[in-house]
Parts: sequence; structure tokens; C-alpha cells
Amino acid sequence: MRNNGYLYSSISLFVGLLLQITPIIGPLVYWRPQFLLMFVIYWLLRSPSQYGIGFAWLSGMILDIFAGEMLGRYAIAFSFCAYILILLSKRLQHFGIKHQAFLILFIVFLNQLLTISISLLYRASWDTTLMIAPAITSAFLWPILSISLNKMIKK
Amino acid sequence: MLILFFVACLLLLIDTTTQWLKPLQPFFSSATVPIFSLSLFPNWADELVEEFSSTASIKEENKLKNIELLILKGRLQKMAELSSENLRLRNLLHASELLQHNVLVAELIGASPDPLTHTILINRGKDYEISRGQAVLDSEGLMGQVIEVYGNSSKVLLISDSAHALPVQVSRNGMRSIAEGSGSYKKLTLRYVTPASDITVGDLLVSSGLGKRYPAGYPVGVITSIDSLKGSPYLDVNVKPSALLDRSRYVLLVSQSVEKFGAGQDEK
Repeated sequence: MRNNGYLYSSISLFVGLLLQITPIIGPLVYWRPQFLLMFVIYWLLRSPSQYGIGFAWLSGMILDIFAGEMLGRYAIAFSFCAYILILLSKRLQHFGIKHQAFLILFIVFLNQLLTISISLLYRASWDTTLMIAPAITSAFLWPILSISLNKMIKK
Repeated sequence: MLILFFVACLLLLIDTTTQWLKPLQPFFSSATVPIFSLSLFPNWADELVEEFSSTASIKEENKLKNIELLILKGRLQKMAELSSENLRLRNLLHASELLQHNVLVAELIGASPDPLTHTILINRGKDYEISRGQAVLDSEGLMGQVIEVYGNSSKVLLISDSAHALPVQVSRNGMRSIAEGSGSYKKLTLRYVTPASDITVGDLLVSSGLGKRYPAGYPVGVITSIDSLKGSPYLDVNVKPSALLDRSRYVLLVSQSVEKFGAGQDEK
């Protein structure tokens, strides 16, 4: 079962990565949910004993390699988000799916804030839409993603 | 766990301030390219539709393409005459010869996942003798330049990236300026245009070739708005890029013989 868990998590990370990097035409790109981060949060909430900051860091690092500049940017943001999640993990176990969606809104916003702030080191472009839009879409997508993953993996 | 966080911070600092991590790039690119090509899965739907579309519709499309080709060939005849005339006039002026530009078709295989970073990956690299700084066009205009070359792919920085600027001139009167990327695919901005300049909405901008990076004379964009900002000595000029920066799947790589001018490529 334990090995199966790792298999599922790596498959879901791969899918998350694909959804994260697939080119989107037009202004919709600003509204792309942070798929990879959502999958990471899913596994962190599902089994906090197996997945921790290291897992989030690794996923962030993989995304950094795909982003191709500022290596370590997503790793910092993802591991910080994971740290916040772990701090709250005692309380989170009692959260329903709606509350979790609010949590996602907050965490994804934090992630965007961190990554965009870090990118100021390299380029001078600040984008407010890019901070809020992915957080909103991620929060709305969370119940669907979480329930369908739960169903798929219980089989 | 805190160590990992600091490792990431350290890597970030090293990567943004030094060139030490550059040797890792070819290794990363060879690992990422197959997954980038997988990430184009939305395009597979189009290809599937093409696969199953009827012969009749393909014939119809073929007919339209043939007509388009005929029109373009007709225009090209006119162009040939004009360019030979131009060459003769330049010879009279003892100006340097017109440069021949060779083009190579490449296909897009990936785009940066970050909406603020406008880079794309194309499927031609060292194996086709692509070099850094080469200009990239699509069917409508100038797209960007090659910034990194790997084994069988290379990375292109688009003109709309906020870290990119290129020298342009107004094709109507030759007024020079600099078009800077804004971080949005739909907009470039012109820097240092004074209110006295002869510039109007609808003017076409072409590359001026002054930076020795881009070949001269390719369309860059059309001016969409000119506003005067309070407290600023310069006009705020917005330009809509001619190239379909976020849509083109096939691009042209221009190899120009810069050496003819006796100047090498300026490395950053």
C-alpha cells in the first residue's frame, strides 16, 4: 500500500506538471490554477506522515527546472507553503471540503506572492492579476480535484 | 528541512547573480524537452481532427492554399523587380550590398509556464547550427531572438518579454526608437519619444538593424495609441506586435551574414 501511495503521488505530480506547463493561448493563462501546488497540497493533507516539506521542495525544484530561470524560486515558495500547512495540520484534519477550498485560496495566493516577489530580483514586472486569479481558480477547482482523486485512489 | 529551504535560497542567489549554473542548462534541457513536447497535448486534438477530416474538405483547403500561393507568387514577382531596382540604386550610391537572409523553419515545442516570462522552446538546436542571437520570425513579423542553444532545441526570448528591447524605426519616415517588451503579449512600448516627433497612430514599425542583433526591415508592430503623460517629458506610445506571439506554432529562424558589415555579434 505504501509503495502504491508513492506511485500514485508521482503519477499525479507528473499530470500536475503537464497541466502546469501546457501552453495556454490568450489572457486565460493568467487564470491557470496552480495544478502542481494543488497536487502537492493534496498529498500533504492526505498523509502528512509520508509527505512533508522535502516533497514540496522537490516538486518546486522540478517546476523550477521547467521554468528555466531563477532556479530555486518555486522550491522556496512550495516549501514555505508546505511549512504553513504543516503548522496548521492539527486543525486541518477537522476541515470540510469548503474550508479546505478557502485554505487553498490562501496558500496559492501566498505562493503567487512569493514567486512574483522573488522574480523582482530578475525582472521589474509586478502583476496583481497574476497574484489573485490563480488563487481563485485553484480554490474553485479544489473540491473537484480532491473528491475525484479520493475516489480514484480508494479503488 | 530548514536546510533545504536555505539550499533553495542559495541556488536562487547563485542563479540570479552569477553564471555558475549555466553548465547545468544543457542537462536540464535534455531532460525537459520530451516532457515539454508531451505538454502540447491540446494540439493533438487538432491533429486528430485533421486525421479524420474528409477528403472533400482537404481538397477545398488545398484549393484555397493554391490560390493564396498564386497571389503571393504574384506579389513576389513585383518584389523581385523592386529589389533589383533597389540594388541598382544602391550600387549607384556605392552603398553596401543587400544582405541575403536564409531562413529555417522550426516548430514550437514548449512555452514558459510563467506568464510573466515570455520564452518559447523550438525544435532546432546545435544540430542545425543555430547560434545565439539569431532572429526568429513568424508569418506576420518579428518574434524574438534565440538566447540559448541546446543539442536539438533552443530557447527563444520573445520581443514582448519585459527584459527585452529592440531598436526599431517608423517605416513611413525612418524615425528611430526603441520598442520595449511589457510582459503582455499584446503590447510593446516605445521609449524616449518626444512630443515633437512625427509619429501617429497606425504607423508601422520595422526593425532598424541598429543593434546588429536583428536584421533590418522586418515588421515589428503597429502603433495603437499615443498619450502624453503628466510630468513626463516623453510620450507614452503603445505598439501592437505584428507577430502572433502567443499563437504561432511554426516559426522561421533567420540566419544573416552579419560578418559582411565587419562586426561580430554583441554578447551581453
